Amino acid sequence: MGIFYRRLPRFDYVVPKTLDEVLKALNKHKGAYRLLAGGTDLIPQLKKREIKEPEYVIDLKGISGLDTISYDGNGLKIGPLATITSIAQSPAVQEHYPILAQAALSMASPQVRNRGTFAGNICNAVPSADSIPSLITLSASVKIRSARKERIVPLEQFFIGPRITALKANEMVVEITVPQQRETSRGVYLKLSPRHSMDLAIVGVAVTGTCENGICKDIRIALGAVAPTPVRAPTAEAVLQGRQITSALVDEAARNAVTQCSPIDDHRASREYRCDMIYVLTRRALNQILLS
Amino acid sequence: MKEIMLNVNGNEHTLQVKPWATLLDVIREDIGLTGAKEGCGEGECGACTVIMDGVAVNACLILAVEANGKHITTIEGLADGEKLHPIQQAFVDIGGLQCGFCTPGMILSAKILLDKNQDPTDEEIRKGLEGNFCRCTGYTKIIQSIKAAAQMLKEGR
Amino acid sequence: MGKYSVIGKRVPRIDAKEKVMGQAKYAADYSLADMLWCKVARAPFAHAKILNIDTSKAERLPGVKAVITGKDFNGWTWGFMATTRDEPPLAVDKVRYLHEGVAAVAAIDEDIAEEACELIKVDYEELPGVFDPEEAMKPGAPVIHAYRPNNVSVEYHWNFGDVEKAFAESYLIREDRFETGRVVTGFLEPPASLAYYDPSGYITVWPAKQSPYFHYRHLAGCFRLPLSKIRVIQPYIGGGFGGTKNDSVAGDLCTVMLSKKTGKPVKFIYTMQEVLTTCRRRHNMTIYNKMGMTKDGILTAVESRVIGHGGAYTAIGPLTMFLTGYGTPVPYKLPNYKYDCWRVFTNNPVSAAMRGHGFTHTRFACDAQMGMMAEELGIDPVEIKMRNAIDNPKPGEVYKAVTGFKVKTCGIKEALKAVTEDTIWADRDKMPRQEGPVSYGVGLSGTAYHGGARQLGHQSCAATIRICEDGTVNLITGATDCGQGSDTVLAMIAAEELGVRYEDISIKRVDTAYTPVDPGSYGSRVTLLAGQATQFAARDAKKQLLEAGAKAWKVKPDDIEIRNAVVSLKTNPEKQMSFEKLTKIACYEGAGAVILGRGHSDYGIDEPLDFDHGTGEGGINFSFTAQTVRLGVDMETGKIDVHDFIIAHDAGVPLHPVSVESQNEGGAIQGLGQAIYECFVMEKGKTHNSTLLDYKMPRSTDVPDIKVIDIITNDPDGPFGAKEASEGSHVSTPPAVIDALHSATGVWFKELPVTPEKIVKALKEQGKWMK
Repeated sequence: MGIFYRRLPRFDYVVPKTLDEVLKALNKHKGAYRLLAGGTDLIPQLKKREIKEPEYVIDLKGISGLDTISYDGNGLKIGPLATITSIAQSPAVQEHYPILAQAALSMASPQVRNRGTFAGNICNAVPSADSIPSLITLSASVKIRSARKERIVPLEQFFIGPRITALKANEMVVEITVPQQRETSRGVYLKLSPRHSMDLAIVGVAVTGTCENGICKDIRIALGAVAPTPVRAPTAEAVLQGRQITSALVDEAARNAVTQCSPIDDHRASREYRCDMIYVLTRRALNQILLS
Repeated sequence: MKEIMLNVNGNEHTLQVKPWATLLDVIREDIGLTGAKEGCGEGECGACTVIMDGVAVNACLILAVEANGKHITTIEGLADGEKLHPIQQAFVDIGGLQCGFCTPGMILSAKILLDKNQDPTDEEIRKGLEGNFCRCTGYTKIIQSIKAAAQMLKEGR
Repeated sequence: MGKYSVIGKRVPRIDAKEKVMGQAKYAADYSLADMLWCKVARAPFAHAKILNIDTSKAERLPGVKAVITGKDFNGWTWGFMATTRDEPPLAVDKVRYLHEGVAAVAAIDEDIAEEACELIKVDYEELPGVFDPEEAMKPGAPVIHAYRPNNVSVEYHWNFGDVEKAFAESYLIREDRFETGRVVTGFLEPPASLAYYDPSGYITVWPAKQSPYFHYRHLAGCFRLPLSKIRVIQPYIGGGFGGTKNDSVAGDLCTVMLSKKTGKPVKFIYTMQEVLTTCRRRHNMTIYNKMGMTKDGILTAVESRVIGHGGAYTAIGPLTMFLTGYGTPVPYKLPNYKYDCWRVFTNNPVSAAMRGHGFTHTRFACDAQMGMMAEELGIDPVEIKMRNAIDNPKPGEVYKAVTGFKVKTCGIKEALKAVTEDTIWADRDKMPRQEGPVSYGVGLSGTAYHGGARQLGHQSCAATIRICEDGTVNLITGATDCGQGSDTVLAMIAAEELGVRYEDISIKRVDTAYTPVDPGSYGSRVTLLAGQATQFAARDAKKQLLEAGAKAWKVKPDDIEIRNAVVSLKTNPEKQMSFEKLTKIACYEGAGAVILGRGHSDYGIDEPLDFDHGTGEGGINFSFTAQTVRLGVDMETGKIDVHDFIIAHDAGVPLHPVSVESQNEGGAIQGLGQAIYECFVMEKGKTHNSTLLDYKMPRSTDVPDIKVIDIITNDPDGPFGAKEASEGSHVSTPPAVIDALHSATGVWFKELPVTPEKIVKALKEQGKWMK
């Protein structure tokens, strides 16, 4: 039956005060829950019955300290409740990881950014998620906890398929960790969409790296919306890594990046256009980072 | 049902709500303030924009229970009695509205924008309104209204 | 404009304060105690026989008060004209498009209504569907309606002059295939209604309608009640733009039926996804256009073959196809014209009217093709338009189109001159053509639209002016302001005619129990037709007041003048009294009087429209628009940044300049959506992009700076010389954008919308990409 729902499905709502309570609840209710951070993805998905209707919605916002963004000499730690706005506005992010502020501001609207979180964007795990390519190029990882143990997973290995992650039913992301970058390192996130805001990326390209005395160092390239998950483009990086940068080499790397993705044809764009745009945007991003 | 307390436009409401009811449902149906509108119900149009603890949010994307204890300003809370807020007055003077359905959300987004930036450029206004959709005006007179409002606010009108 | 006290002034909109305070009530804002909620259950197939519907489980769900199916409507159907009323409120024997309604529930809350829909069990036999009109026209295609075995909903074949001879004598002929996109009006307020069928057999509804009297007639027909028992109370309307809100939707009729069955008020609200999946859309059209010209670029003939994608039902489609052909002979002189069109049924959602109705398709095709021919002939694009443009007739004279309609004023030449003298066009060669990957282009269009639509029956449109004894005025009309500002304009007209101040006029929303019948908001008819009715009503009231004043002052009524609410003697302006005083004299005199002025629009139907042959007068006058666009195209990604619109629009005389500008701006941005952003992506009847995320209407960050230039032609037929505003700029935008894209890329795009992907594809085909 076709039904266009205006109301959310029935569920119970719990708002634990500690992380332990959450982790215990996850153990107890197995798959019958949904974690609620900003809700900007969860609420529409529930409304449209795109995801299994949960028995429980567990709101994380009763726990203090999960919304912090902290920076020290070792890197950046983003709490799972840090909003996209707070990341974009964080002085540490703006100074040391401007690519993240850029990615943050490319997402949705002020209203959504005021509620939504990077952790939510990551756990929702759509291929076009704007926060992910930049975080991958920064070698970010996620700290995952269950009632029994904690583990750290590099973000690059966190995604398994569209909307599927390495998280188990009794686990949650408790921190996004971004290591300290080389001082000369620069990053850029280029997002292509038909309109100038409120769009999903047709293609997203993040590049982080540096060019010292004409030699490319620490180059990392990540691509969004062109594979079942956001992907890194290691062979394209290899074209550049440690080599004298020229326009021709950048062009070669950009062409190589196209070979690293497997986009789909869908209503947003064709496979061919996405491939072409990977080339164009990767080339632009590399030019900005390495040649300008 | 869950009991929650909302402070809406300075009035405290103690309410029994369904856990799955959205803040928008509760503001419109339980409290009876219908200025916040439902356009898309999924955070794309901004017609349901309200100010919660000082920031603009889509009331359709928030559970009412999540808003427990929060301070909320809706469009009905903006004027001082009969005296319009300068942003409202500017929209009237310049004609920054047609059908009016996006107007409450548009004005609240404009308020947040002008709270943070007293002298925004056209580009900054456009960016500040990116979450608020309007089909009638082509945005031109909305942008002009917000510029006029910025001037009025600077002059303390 | 010195001769007017109110007309032409930038007064605040009459509804502005209520709207900015959030106090304006829209359909979804209304509730009644003990109200039930309605939800429509919809079919999961685009084409299927309904074998059985089992509602028993839904009925047993606690909180459910009634469940209805298509059979409850006893065979009632609606649509355009008696012969094509083919659409039931809920599907009866078969469903013809995906998510057509099959049942509806009333329950004590909306959660339960939605759950109950899940419990309705329908057995279907899926039928092969047909989704492409040219496929649907082939023999052996699945038949959608038994009464149209070839799937052709309507077809017209018009022939004026001698097209074949003209083409034979032409220096240059071009034949091109154009396509307009599958687009939607895009109002922000989803349809909603609160309905109460009361125990004494009256229906009262608060629905979101831009033509409330159409709905009133539908309700009377559907429920077999006299019109006097149908009360439509008009809330504020959150945007219309034609189609869906001119019409009734399944939810409207189901809420009333459910109210009848339960004895309680029932409310429904659609979701935006429901709107973008099941509501009316603009017809997308395939246009095979053939144009002939002399060596000097003078138009000799146009032959258009148009296939309208009709979707599953008729709705207003026959009129769409008429208007699509009707607009071709303006704004350029066209001596020979042939039009063949077919509106074809498919298993897609229903196509209907939208702003720029009909004209937008053929004006896009013809204007773009004219640009292509200018290029081939080596004639300047402005020059070729000027050579062909209809001259502004001298007062008292008319230009008669080849199809027979008359143009009394025409500002197209002046508009073309105005936009091309503006710096955006004039200095286009001084601006950079290329910056990095971005190539800039400036484009031009010149188009027309008709206003004051008067088509076939239901033309009646009236106004009443009620003079209050304190000198204020109630203006009562059946006209609907769905956002365009017509209540403001009508109040201005009343104030100007009466000689009172704008703020002395009150106007309220339609209530069919009290307001006079009116066709509603479409075809840019409100300012012109309801405006004229208002003018006449005000004159009638003023006449009564002047007679009372004349008696008091012992002069003739003609000797008295009223301006700015002051009554004075023309021969002795010192002799004055307030308007309030005059109303007291008039109302209290003798046995007492109630001053009511009456007026109705008297344009009537000059020459009835002949759909089969293409003749008749579709409106009362034509607006003309010239537009330039400056944009930049990223030649690597195809992404477009639109920088400037200059719109010169001939609205006759702008009565409320703020609304004329705003309507032009809004119409143009809606046109921009059609030109480069908006299009439903369909696959076998399924809409893939049924959200505001993926159905891409322009946002604040997408729109250019817009300058609107008023071209004053003072039309003899519009009130105070007025013509329409907004449909004109809606029609002028796509061809201007196409021309600008050509200027930027060297490619003529013939299919709307021109998305970044289409640009890259075209550049690749021409070997221009990444070179």
